[in-house]
Amino acid sequence: MSASTFEKVMLIVLSILTLLISSLLLVILATVFIKGLPALHSGFLTEASKDFGRAGGIFYQMVGTLILMSGAVLVSLPVALGSVIYQTQYLKSKKAKEFCRQSAQMLNATPTILFGLVGYLFFGVYLETGVSWVTGSLILAVMILPTLQISIREAIEALPEQYKDTGMSLGLSQWNQIKTIILPQSYYGIITGVLLGLARAAGETAAIMFAATTFSGVQFPESFSDPIPTLQTHMLVLTQEAANPHAIAQAWGAGGVLLALVFFMTFIAWILRSKLKMESEL
Amino acid sequence: MLRFLTFSPKIVLMIRLLLFVLVVIGVAPLPVNADHPSKIEIVGSTTVLPIASLAAERFKSAHHLRILVNAGGSGVGIHSVARGRSDIGMASRELSGSERKRFEGSHLKVHTVGMDAVACVVSSEIYDSGVKSLTRKQIGDIYLGKVKNWKEVGGPDRKIVVVDKERHRGTRHVFMDFIFGKPTQKTPGTLLVTGSNNEEQAKIAQSDSAIGMLSYAWANDEVKAVAIRDKKYLISPTLETITKGDYPIVRKLSFITAGEPEGEVKEFLEFVKSPKGQMVVKESGYLPYK
Amino acid sequence: MMWIFAGLNFIFLASAVGLFFFLVLESYPILKLQGFDFWLGQDWWVGESYGALPMLYGSFFVTALACILVLPLALAVALFTSEFLSSSYRRFVKAILELLAGVPGIIYGLLGVSFLSLWIKNIFGLLDGNTLMTAGCLLSIMILPTVLTLSEDAMHAVPAEYRENALGLGLSKWQAAISVVLPQALPGIVGAVLLGIGRAMGETIAVMLVVGSLDRIPDPWFNIFTSAQTIPSKLGREAAEAIGEGTHWSALMALGLTLFLMVFLITLLGNHFLKRVHTS
Repeated sequence: MSASTFEKVMLIVLSILTLLISSLLLVILATVFIKGLPALHSGFLTEASKDFGRAGGIFYQMVGTLILMSGAVLVSLPVALGSVIYQTQYLKSKKAKEFCRQSAQMLNATPTILFGLVGYLFFGVYLETGVSWVTGSLILAVMILPTLQISIREAIEALPEQYKDTGMSLGLSQWNQIKTIILPQSYYGIITGVLLGLARAAGETAAIMFAATTFSGVQFPESFSDPIPTLQTHMLVLTQEAANPHAIAQAWGAGGVLLALVFFMTFIAWILRSKLKMESEL
Repeated sequence: MLRFLTFSPKIVLMIRLLLFVLVVIGVAPLPVNADHPSKIEIVGSTTVLPIASLAAERFKSAHHLRILVNAGGSGVGIHSVARGRSDIGMASRELSGSERKRFEGSHLKVHTVGMDAVACVVSSEIYDSGVKSLTRKQIGDIYLGKVKNWKEVGGPDRKIVVVDKERHRGTRHVFMDFIFGKPTQKTPGTLLVTGSNNEEQAKIAQSDSAIGMLSYAWANDEVKAVAIRDKKYLISPTLETITKGDYPIVRKLSFITAGEPEGEVKEFLEFVKSPKGQMVVKESGYLPYK
Repeated sequence: MMWIFAGLNFIFLASAVGLFFFLVLESYPILKLQGFDFWLGQDWWVGESYGALPMLYGSFFVTALACILVLPLALAVALFTSEFLSSSYRRFVKAILELLAGVPGIIYGLLGVSFLSLWIKNIFGLLDGNTLMTAGCLLSIMILPTVLTLSEDAMHAVPAEYRENALGLGLSKWQAAISVVLPQALPGIVGAVLLGIGRAMGETIAVMLVVGSLDRIPDPWFNIFTSAQTIPSKLGREAAEAIGEGTHWSALMALGLTLFLMVFLITLLGNHFLKRVHTS
């Protein structure tokens, strides 16, 4: 066939492939919803789980996931904010900045199971926080540190140089500059970073499965040393009962809730981020 | 030309709201009462787990206590209680020699709460096609990889899906000890490794030519227990043969504590050993300890 | 105030460095005991010897499979999105990719157990669907968003002049894309693939549920249709058993260290290539 016909065919093939990939998301969502349907009943989100998780709801699992997510962000945010401010405003040496950047990249690429292993060793054993929600939050906090840093840094670096110059020419101290100019500038980055960090922490299973969780026995954690149930580990245990349709349906249902949680936050972060990009490109 | 990110009061409000919600959720789990609320942590064998869970439910209603029960396998249970990470370790096997040595300092005490039999199980399709019993040697050869097809032992012409368990699991120790005389026997014939009883049960049910090892209480329509053929005798794992002591692969189900149990742990153990507790053992499908 | 920020920065650096430091510290006992045998040994038998070769093999093959499977698809769609889609459709695709990249591993695990495992078992007539192939396929879907979006970025960043020159010379849009944009974007694409590999190597949950967890090098060695084991999957399955101390724990940490170093090097390399993406 002629060159142009070949090209036309290729373009058609490519467009079909692109369509397929775009619909992948929809397919996953639809699958989760359809497979989870048997487990969905009016009490699914508000009941406790029954019969080893094969029936009932996932209320306490949801609570557990939310607790870990929020705890992680609460601990991580100050460190992320502080370190980015330090690196962008105070640090002069290129080598030091590069080292910081590399460290962040290294942390970001680290397989999450390692966070679980070393995190448990450091927090759970050495600092004696044991297998608990506290350990889980701390481990996740370290894990999402780079995620928060990237968003905050993006926002701060979008600030044109003129602002800093203006601040300096006005005789403001560095701290004053940071307080009145840099910090407000970073709010967008904080919000997107927090949302992305929450989304990442929500879905994480490997880092917490043996350091923070329990399958049964705990509802609301009542002390600092309590492990907690989570959506992710709940799903993990149920998935291993592949032959039991009730268990699997429950797993899918929990998966749907988890997915909805993660998507919601990622989506809002995405909207905010594109708004940031659009405004800074004007 | 100067650009500064402006944000409406709406955005500021959103930020404040988000942070507020985060703080509330993140801080909510702080203890309502400052002293440690009583709880018992139980970890270990997935065979013993149903007993612990059910007993915990019954025990809790009479006492104000929280009882956490988690899986992991006998090995994890023993390790956990020896290191003080749990109050009770569930085990469906004896302590191994290396475990005894390693945890000497923890003074582990074994409390038997029930009896169980381990059965060699096969997919229901294999059972229905005639393989209702196997000799010790046949089972051994299958796990060693010497026998690869069901037709070699009287079944259909299908490759055997040899399902094994993680090395530290109680069920495996007991099974391997019976077949090979060595609890930690290496099995080159293994095709698949599973963890909990649930996982193994699921795998054998899903396949139509699998063999595996399970507590006899976990057999069902899709997962059938075969009888052990010993010279002229056929010994199936039934309540009768197990109680009479004829069935050879029997084991104790235990709760292990580090040192002598005290307080609530002691009370819970006594409950499980009491007639009410033994009812729980029977309801879970196992046998009361004698 | 500076000291507060410096302190927070120090905490961050300490966690990054500390992670690596602890891995090395905890691996020392087993490496002192077994030395290079740790990586060359084939037998992982707790209490006796710890040989990591089957895990290394599994990790390598599963990652290679994922890479091979993802590349054609990712490149095709990236090319189409970058060169032939209008900007609003492009933004739509990018948004979808970002959402896909955020799907938790456990969901993929469920999908793998419920669907992929059974499909592979039936299509290839296997005894069981938990194989290296299954894990490879699952991982390819998981790293697709990452590889796709980064490759697309690389292609899109090729300056307009290149395309204009090509079109000016009489090439069609397609020819311009294939013979000009693609080669120019190559460093970025390589970077994207390397980062995807890094991610694939580190994935625990999804792989753990579908790879079979058999600590053995397949026989014959290229048989991807059998169960095997990867490093993260091994860690996931055995961590609870050995937690905290002992030879077993040290061996697991050594496995973790190995994984860390492999992923670190690949990510370093990948980022190096990504830096060479044209910035407009």
